[in-house]
Amino acid sequence: MVGADTDKHTDPKGLQHELDHINNLPQLSAAVSNVDKIIELLTAARERVAGALDPHTASLTMTKLQNPVKVAFETVNVNLKDASQTNKATGKALDKFFPYKPLPADHDAMADHHPLINRAIAMHLLREGQFSVASTFIDDAQSASPYNIEGTPSDGQDEPMDEDDDDAGVEGEADAEASPPVTASSSSDSHDLSSFQSQELQAKFSEMYRVLQELKLRNLVPAIAWARANSAELEARGSNLEFELSKLQYVWLFKGPAVNGLPDDQQNGRAGAMAYARDNFGRFQSRHLPEIQQLASAVVFAPNITGSPYRSVFSTDGAFSEVASSFTREFCSLLGLSAESPLYIAATAGALALPWLIKYTTATKAKGTEWTTANELAFATPLPERMMYHSIFVCPVAKEQTTEDNPPMMIPCGHVLARETVTKLCKGNRFKCPYCPSEGQLKDARLIIL
Amino acid sequence: MADQEASKINLDNHLLLDQPLLRLPYELLRKNFRSAHFTFEKDSTFVKNLLKETANGSLNGRTTPQDVVKNLDTMLARIRGMKRKLSAYADEETRLHRQVDARVAHLRELSGVHTVDDVKYDAWSRQRLDRLLVDYLLRHGYNASATSLAEERQMVDLVDIDTFVAMSKIRKSLEDRSVQEALAWCNENKKELRRMHSNLEFMLRCQQFIEMRRAGTPAKMAEAIAHAKKYIAPFNDTYTEEVCNMAGLLAHLPDTKQEPYESLYSLERWTKLADVFVEAHNKLLGLPSFPLLHTALSSGLSALKTPACHSSTATSSSRPSHSTSLTTSVCPICSTELNELARNVPYAHHSKSHVEHDLLLLPNGRVYGKDRLEEYAVKAGLPPGQVRDLVTGESFAVDKLKKVFIT
Repeated sequence: MVGADTDKHTDPKGLQHELDHINNLPQLSAAVSNVDKIIELLTAARERVAGALDPHTASLTMTKLQNPVKVAFETVNVNLKDASQTNKATGKALDKFFPYKPLPADHDAMADHHPLINRAIAMHLLREGQFSVASTFIDDAQSASPYNIEGTPSDGQDEPMDEDDDDAGVEGEADAEASPPVTASSSSDSHDLSSFQSQELQAKFSEMYRVLQELKLRNLVPAIAWARANSAELEARGSNLEFELSKLQYVWLFKGPAVNGLPDDQQNGRAGAMAYARDNFGRFQSRHLPEIQQLASAVVFAPNITGSPYRSVFSTDGAFSEVASSFTREFCSLLGLSAESPLYIAATAGALALPWLIKYTTATKAKGTEWTTANELAFATPLPERMMYHSIFVCPVAKEQTTEDNPPMMIPCGHVLARETVTKLCKGNRFKCPYCPSEGQLKDARLIIL
Repeated sequence: MADQEASKINLDNHLLLDQPLLRLPYELLRKNFRSAHFTFEKDSTFVKNLLKETANGSLNGRTTPQDVVKNLDTMLARIRGMKRKLSAYADEETRLHRQVDARVAHLRELSGVHTVDDVKYDAWSRQRLDRLLVDYLLRHGYNASATSLAEERQMVDLVDIDTFVAMSKIRKSLEDRSVQEALAWCNENKKELRRMHSNLEFMLRCQQFIEMRRAGTPAKMAEAIAHAKKYIAPFNDTYTEEVCNMAGLLAHLPDTKQEPYESLYSLERWTKLADVFVEAHNKLLGLPSFPLLHTALSSGLSALKTPACHSSTATSSSRPSHSTSLTTSVCPICSTELNELARNVPYAHHSKSHVEHDLLLLPNGRVYGKDRLEEYAVKAGLPPGQVRDLVTGESFAVDKLKKVFIT
């Protein structure tokens, strides 16, 4: 959609092919080897003159030298011309297979937000487990811009976080949990890196990576310990992580030493699984009784579980990676953070939306309209389903998205309109629904939260 | 939903941010060739002239055989020097070609990927983010971070550490109040700077003049005037106002409060010079004037942002993105990392509602999809006929719910 050139397309494959060909064309190195010829000529001449040291030999040698040297220089010059042609061919290949499309360059909306971007990068590096790069970066950024402090206060409207973790006594938790939770509220006063609690965040994420590492090795114990320590918050989120982990542990033990590779003792195998269930499933009974019964009944089928109705429950193929991803999601959510790196999502969404932005700016350039002035983008930027995180309600009458100031209202017949639309539809206190024959009163329209 | 369409990758549009990836090494190839050619021209002209002179001198007896040998030695030294320099340029050329190949191979990985849901796309896009990060870090002079990230991710060939490190050295020298490095750079790129009408060299020459005037000793003043005659006065036609200001500066002491002289004496002019240099440098090499990460973020933040992201009431939505759990991931714009940064960008434009199926209204005003309410009720172990609000945790009887119609 950018550029009207029809015969030029971005085609890395074609470019690669073309460059393979170009790489065989003459390059500067050819010129270098031909310089040796000049050196040889001059050296030979020097020896002859120095050997005889009489004016006649000297003038004869020098006269004879003129032409060959000239020719040799000419050869090098030709080599250089060839190399220049090779460069030109590279340029042509680029133009053909990677046609240039200018990026928006007039306005840098991010220019004044250097400290905020730095903070986002530091958090990104930490959550990606790039701890050493992150610490180099924090040093770099702090020493480079001590004067760059920006203090836009935040509303602190981020997810409320329950802070009274009763995790005392859980192994491996104490060190990370002792620090204050790294939420928006604790770091929102100022956005520079010095107030940013990278140590705490790093401790949190190294804990996350430790647990994930163990999950990869099929060891559920640290994950279960974490889930138990945070069971109140997890339950409040409607997460079953703790039960899912315990269930998987039961299944894993049930499979016995041949599959799980754990020591063959009382703690393992069918007996171990039963013991584990006795010790741990009690707390889940109120919520997960049917599933627990199912797990217990499976014992009957133990010799042939794959041929039993319980085979799906007892398959652990994808189960570990599934609990690992729910673990990551829950872990980040309790920190008030998104499960995927927001910087990654934003950069990817940015690449997807950029063509629309360019198309729009190109179209409106003549009018001198600026795309960042309004609250809402003036053009649509379709993103894939998984990048939609909130419900979007567009008032069917006003064709505008609802906002905090103009929220969605449900009228008595069940249809939803923006508040401004309802007010405009009103004649006196009554209005007629634009979508069905029913009528309503303003006082009966109620605000809804989507 | 146009989701299927939105997930498709169209290479013509998807590699916009990646243009400098190939443009820069190409510009460097051209620059490298120009330097090689310049060296050759200079040295070959010198040698050819000396050769001719020596031959003539030797013919008419003015040059002794001893002097002929001496001249030949000079020529040899010169040619050997030229060979050394050309070899270095040839090596650089080979390195740049290798870099181009590596980069094309990286872009080529995307040829077989047709949708953003492909796992291969994820890996590729992550690497792109790493590239954008290195670019950002280098442009801010965080060279150690950039190098360490590039090495850790094994993508040294995909980023331009050398170019930016060289640039940040010159920028640093300007910030440390030295013009020499920047002048040398101007000299190297004389023709191109002239072609793009850069005033960098003129600005640098003015700064030299300002510093001489600042020193104020009679010797320095004389030097300043000589300097102005040589480097500043010739630009009277192009930069009339600046040239006049420089002349006026002679009549104003460094502590003047008179404009424009106070600003000219200001040490902040050095920072400005550093900016002018960076701008000229980037323009010369065809690099975007601000970090690519900024471009990606300003378009990405807006595309993701919804009115809900900075609203004071927690919304009911935060759609479940993976079917395995009804609990949801925090939206990237709501997440601490980007929330403040996204505050001032416009939110995305939508012309269609995007909500869950079978919406039900709870007595407290919150709306959820039927499936999600039912699933949550089961997981929360509620008795039949009851549902629970996913955000507030309140329980309600099913018969108190109302259907919501989204048109």
